[in-house]
Amino acid sequence: MIDFSISSRQRDLRDMIHGFARNVIRPQSLAWDRAHGIPDEFLSRFVMMAASMGGPAGAWGVQGLGAATSEGEKPAEGAKKASTAMVSTVLSAEELSWGDAALLLCLPGPGLGGPPVRGTGTPEQKERFFSIFRDMSQGLKWGAYALTEPSAGSDVAGIRTSCRRDGSHWVLNGRKCFITNGGRASWNVVFATVDPALGRAGHRAFVVEKGTAGFSVGKIEEKMGLRASETAELVLEDVRVPNENLLGGEDSYASKEGFMTAMKTFDNTRPIVASMAIGIGRAAYEYARDFAISNYALARHTPRYSVIAERLARIGQKLEAARMATWHAAWLADNEQPNAKEASMSKALAGQASIRACIEAIEICGVEGTLQKDHQLLEKWFRDIKVYDIFEGTGQIQRIVISKRLFPDLKSF
Amino acid sequence: MISFEPSEDQRMMQDAARGFAKTLRARMRETEQARAIPDDLQKIAADMGLSMIAIPESCGGAGLGLATAVLLEQELAMGDAAAAFGLRGPGAFGLAAVELGTEEQAARAIAALEGGFGAVAWGESRAHADRPGLCTTATRDGDGYRINGVKSYVLNADRASAFIVFAQIDEAAGWNGLAAFIVPKNAKGVAIGAREVSLGLDVASISGITLTDVTVTEAARLSGNGDFNAATVRFFVKNALINAARAVGLSRTAVDVTREYVEMRKAFGKPVAHFQAVAFNVADRSMDAAASAAMVLRAAWMWDAKVPENDALRTSAFAVSHALEAAMRCGDDAVQLHGGAGFMRDYPVEKMMRDAKQLQLCAMPAGCADQLAAAIELGRPIDLGLVLPNAESQSALI
Repeated sequence: MIDFSISSRQRDLRDMIHGFARNVIRPQSLAWDRAHGIPDEFLSRFVMMAASMGGPAGAWGVQGLGAATSEGEKPAEGAKKASTAMVSTVLSAEELSWGDAALLLCLPGPGLGGPPVRGTGTPEQKERFFSIFRDMSQGLKWGAYALTEPSAGSDVAGIRTSCRRDGSHWVLNGRKCFITNGGRASWNVVFATVDPALGRAGHRAFVVEKGTAGFSVGKIEEKMGLRASETAELVLEDVRVPNENLLGGEDSYASKEGFMTAMKTFDNTRPIVASMAIGIGRAAYEYARDFAISNYALARHTPRYSVIAERLARIGQKLEAARMATWHAAWLADNEQPNAKEASMSKALAGQASIRACIEAIEICGVEGTLQKDHQLLEKWFRDIKVYDIFEGTGQIQRIVISKRLFPDLKSF
Repeated sequence: MISFEPSEDQRMMQDAARGFAKTLRARMRETEQARAIPDDLQKIAADMGLSMIAIPESCGGAGLGLATAVLLEQELAMGDAAAAFGLRGPGAFGLAAVELGTEEQAARAIAALEGGFGAVAWGESRAHADRPGLCTTATRDGDGYRINGVKSYVLNADRASAFIVFAQIDEAAGWNGLAAFIVPKNAKGVAIGAREVSLGLDVASISGITLTDVTVTEAARLSGNGDFNAATVRFFVKNALINAARAVGLSRTAVDVTREYVEMRKAFGKPVAHFQAVAFNVADRSMDAAASAAMVLRAAWMWDAKVPENDALRTSAFAVSHALEAAMRCGDDAVQLHGGAGFMRDYPVEKMMRDAKQLQLCAMPAGCADQLAAAIELGRPIDLGLVLPNAESQSALI
């Protein structure tokens, strides 16, 4: 039955995150941004609190990117009732991101490294690589996903990092860049190729553990926004990785499935990234609205008021469109229906709408909107949002995904 | 709990509407030329009860709610977005009667149409020179009222057997001084103007109405059940959602037709769909259509679920604004991607483009919806002069 109400549990969770985002996260947001990181102590407390609120579901239902991407999070097999995990996640992610988007990316746990391990790892591998996140009382731990290279971004098939079998080991050489949490990760899922000429068929995914000889962290990037999130360059020089760290084992690469499974993880992460973008866009929208209420003489029908009103409505409309696309994609995922097209739509719409929201919000607030002050985060949101139309598939890549679903005969442009 | 899944009943009705829509598409040019929906098609629609879906049972309707109504309107519009404007039924008259009248008034007024057309006389082509509000006036006359004025842009005025006429009852109160009355077509002093020819949706009949010393009784006055302006805005918004659902149907079908065409049409040795400039364009428009559909459905659901009125109004305003503009983009790009062929009446897309423009000017244009959403967001009182179509802002067909 058509229904757009959220359950009382979802509402409680959302309201709680909202209060926390407003009272605790936002007051520190700019400081984190300036310090290029969120203190471990805060992250520890946050994870403990989230665990006590949301149980094993991890960071208040914020799965996919946070701690919850561990093996325990799959909905019960054969359960008749549709899951609500993804819808809950996008609701929570929007709220948390409304507070501070970088926090979500900083959360300890396997991060984006979780889905490929869960999707393609052997039972032994899952146990080995996920078990380290079960108890973080002795220190926070992260996983990461290392695919992008200096010469291969959207064109993931073009990676050049090489892997060569050598007895009971593989030898990896190459560079990875823009890896979220890559520097501090206990392990990175590193994609490499046995032969670039083979394209995707030549790809292998390895779990490279921190401290492996030859594996080092290069530059930590200085970014426009999301500056509290760590973005690392990884250098692999004759890194010897044991066979047991080849995700899924050699046999699983006989077909292209291994790689495709790893890519499918994006169908589920895209709506989450979309909802994070919407969270930032909504923050900017509400900021501009409140600014207009307190700074303009709205009781007078000045022409300027009409312009402001229209601008605001346009932002709100686009955000609402993106939100509905995101809910739809998440709902499809919960109902185990294909959602690649819808997931890409949500990401493409949310990225664009939220960037527009930040651009227009500053337009409404004028110079004041560009000034960096405590409790004045609009310029930060403007910096944070841009990458949402770039990472996890640029807006253009989303359109390629959508195009291929619309035109089944279309193999490539 | 969030679900995009229609119920079993809704799905059956959707299937039926889809079947009817196919017929409407096949005969789209015929109805366009006839400037009316033929009787055999009228009968199918009447048998399906399409016009009474959103009318509450207490007022003689099916009581299936706005969500069901927008689902079905969307299906019909996928066949021919103009058709619904030419199908018999209470239409906007029914929605206005329900919002503005008592249950008894609404039930009686809708029943009196006997399945035929009703119309809402809101629009005026010129603003009053000296004050805000409508030029048409209603003045006290014994136990009743005397109405004088010229109404414009009335959908199906010449087909309707009764009107809901909006008039200024308190000239000093501007947009807060309005009233509405049920006026039968055969009332003395009512004159229907000549039928206009319009860019799109021409199967609807558009004309003006001149009211000269038309007298009505107190019982004909619709009071808005306490808050006349709030009821008026509700009527406009619900009517606009129905219109937006038609825009969604138009968007979807324009995208579908275009998708098929660009896959079939070859240039430079391959289907034009395999050029990025073309495929991305179709991808953008399919996003437009998908987002609009979800937005309109959610807004309609909000009215059925009786969420706080401002939430429903704001969400509806966003949905209306988005759906109308998305439909225009979909119609425009559909013709564009068909190339020269799209300009020809052999293909349906040129009609979709014209209909899209006309849909943008029905019920509540995007500009008005934007003002409504903003007024709510900014915590300003809802000013009818700003949020409803009128001669001073942007007029629309009601």
